[in-house]
Amino acid sequence: MTAASSSPEQDLAAAIRAQFGNTVEDVKVDRKDRVSLVVSKDTMMDVAAWLQRAGFDHTVTVSGVDHPWENHLDVVYFLSSYSREDLKGLVVSLKIHLSRENPSLPSLTPIWESANFFERETFEMFGVNFQGHPNLSKLLLQDNWDGPPPLRKDFKIPEMA
Amino acid sequence: MAAETESKPETQSPSSGIGPGPGAWVGNLRDLVERVVGSAPLKYIVNWSRIYSLWPVHLMTACCGAELGAMMSGRYDPERFGMQAAVGAMRQSDLLIIEGTVTKKMLKRVKVVWEQMPNPKYAIAMGDCACSGGLFHDSYSIINEIEKAIPIDVFVPGCPPRPEALLNAIIKLREKIRREEVYPK
Amino acid sequence: MRIMVKTDGDLIVEATPEIGYVHRGCEKIAESRNIIKNIPMLERPNIADSSHLNWSYVAPIEELQRVEVPERGLHIRTMLCEINRIASHLYGMAIMAGIFSGHTTMYMFGFGDRELLLDLHEMLTGARMTFSFFVPGGVRRDLPKGFIEKLLETLDYLESHLPAIDRIFVSNPIFVERARGVGILKNEDAIRLGVVGPVLRGSGVPCDVRKDAPYGVYDKVDFEVPSFKEGDSLSRWRVRFEEIKQSIRILRQLATDMPKGPIARKSPLVVPRGEAMGRVESSRGEINHYVVGDGGDKPYRVKMSTGSFKNLAALPFLLKGVRIGDMPIIYGSLDYWPVEADR
Repeated sequence: MTAASSSPEQDLAAAIRAQFGNTVEDVKVDRKDRVSLVVSKDTMMDVAAWLQRAGFDHTVTVSGVDHPWENHLDVVYFLSSYSREDLKGLVVSLKIHLSRENPSLPSLTPIWESANFFERETFEMFGVNFQGHPNLSKLLLQDNWDGPPPLRKDFKIPEMA
Repeated sequence: MAAETESKPETQSPSSGIGPGPGAWVGNLRDLVERVVGSAPLKYIVNWSRIYSLWPVHLMTACCGAELGAMMSGRYDPERFGMQAAVGAMRQSDLLIIEGTVTKKMLKRVKVVWEQMPNPKYAIAMGDCACSGGLFHDSYSIINEIEKAIPIDVFVPGCPPRPEALLNAIIKLREKIRREEVYPK
Repeated sequence: MRIMVKTDGDLIVEATPEIGYVHRGCEKIAESRNIIKNIPMLERPNIADSSHLNWSYVAPIEELQRVEVPERGLHIRTMLCEINRIASHLYGMAIMAGIFSGHTTMYMFGFGDRELLLDLHEMLTGARMTFSFFVPGGVRRDLPKGFIEKLLETLDYLESHLPAIDRIFVSNPIFVERARGVGILKNEDAIRLGVVGPVLRGSGVPCDVRKDAPYGVYDKVDFEVPSFKEGDSLSRWRVRFEEIKQSIRILRQLATDMPKGPIARKSPLVVPRGEAMGRVESSRGEINHYVVGDGGDKPYRVKMSTGSFKNLAALPFLLKGVRIGDMPIIYGSLDYWPVEADR
């Protein structure tokens, strides 16, 4: 099962490398049914459109991860497919590195409408601006929240031993 | 509150200048009713009727609501205690059961529900989260001490408390109502 | 949740859901407690279906730690999850057909039958709803004596009671009138909005993580994934009803061939460097936990993505253009659990 073209995730990784070459970094197949790649803000729309044409029709989830000690903030999109039988179990993760001051990137809601509420939550919790999102407003926090975005590592809550 | 409404008819009614107007007579009647109803044996009858028809508002603020739902079903049968789900919701109920964590966003709505309920009304804080913050006490978005916003009569610990524990709380509340005044000052 | 509705007479022009009333900051708290202390906290968001949240949190940690759960542990996990699924579906059906459509008999039926399943939970784990039973590496306790017999007895009772529920509620012309053709979610809209669970399967998309990306022992048992192509509230209700029957089928197979062996393997109290995602099919849809580890005993980041949050996208879409009287049925058919969506 480790031959290069025998599993869907290896096939997909090879196709991505063939299509995009050096513009995507770090295309990895760490385990069965997972492909992960890192894209930059400029190439993410092309990669996303290509993935959508390849059959990935919805986002599974979207998350932000704050790395203050490495001075970057990541936004990770997880994609999967409902309509293609061969891609149903596969999850592709698309990671974008952003700077921690005023992080902003184009929204993927025009391509995958299922990303709408997830991006809104990431905006609220991390302070990431999604350009082109139809309705970037508060979702979960209380109306008069005036603190920093809560899921950033600068915002501390008491730690239990 | 009785004193405020008492004074209004007196100031508004036309006074011929000879003695107090009809408002004072109404005020005296109200005083009389309160004194008669507020003492034995009518006091026990009034309290008995309050105890045996406690209708709760099912304010499912968080997970404990599932155990309240289970308590309202056939096995634990609160209808034998007179507890029926209030169909008119807030204005026709006299017991507010705060189930679970109250977040800062929800606090205003809990207060609105509490204020809509007519007197006499009672509140039970169900679950560890409503008593003291519980499992989420260090969160940035919850209220740890709900008793500063709403006067709580009975606290029920547990995460979530078993339906039997909640029924025990209802029984303790009934003991409390049995002992209290009909018209508290 | 609060639904702000703009109406034109009796028809809804626009509906906006407002959520966040139960947002307790689970993800932030999870970063400040160690792996094991997170388990009770992270299973509270969906208390009626907590074993799935537990499994989805523990699975990526095991993946990072490279610990494999032994066969018997997987069997017990699958068994508890299926019992939990039946209990959660009974809860959802009781609320939808009972409270939202106005007759409380289904509420009493659903909750009454659910009590038997909660007895099974208590016999196995010690708690009615909040088990905290799965730990990285396996499960905490083995099956007690007499559990399999009681399980089979409960399944026999449920199977004998389901036709009554079918006759009174699913085939009841009053309920059918209220739910058929109401809140139609077409196939392509369901895929585009990214809904999950019975909402997805009620729109003709037969996707289920238990079949597409099997975990536990789901690849070894024989079951079907029910789906109906009408996409209305009645088909979503029927999906849940059929899933109860399939869960009973799975449980009978699991009860008869339990492997012997250990129930857990030792796992270290660290989350190694790396990231992993768990995928589990709960009763309301797919649950994902994305865990990032940094080598310490506390996870660096836990992102929970639950079925109710994903189905939220369907609510404003479905409520457009319907009458206000249809709103409770549509809302009930989505089986939205607010605590799970807000975390």
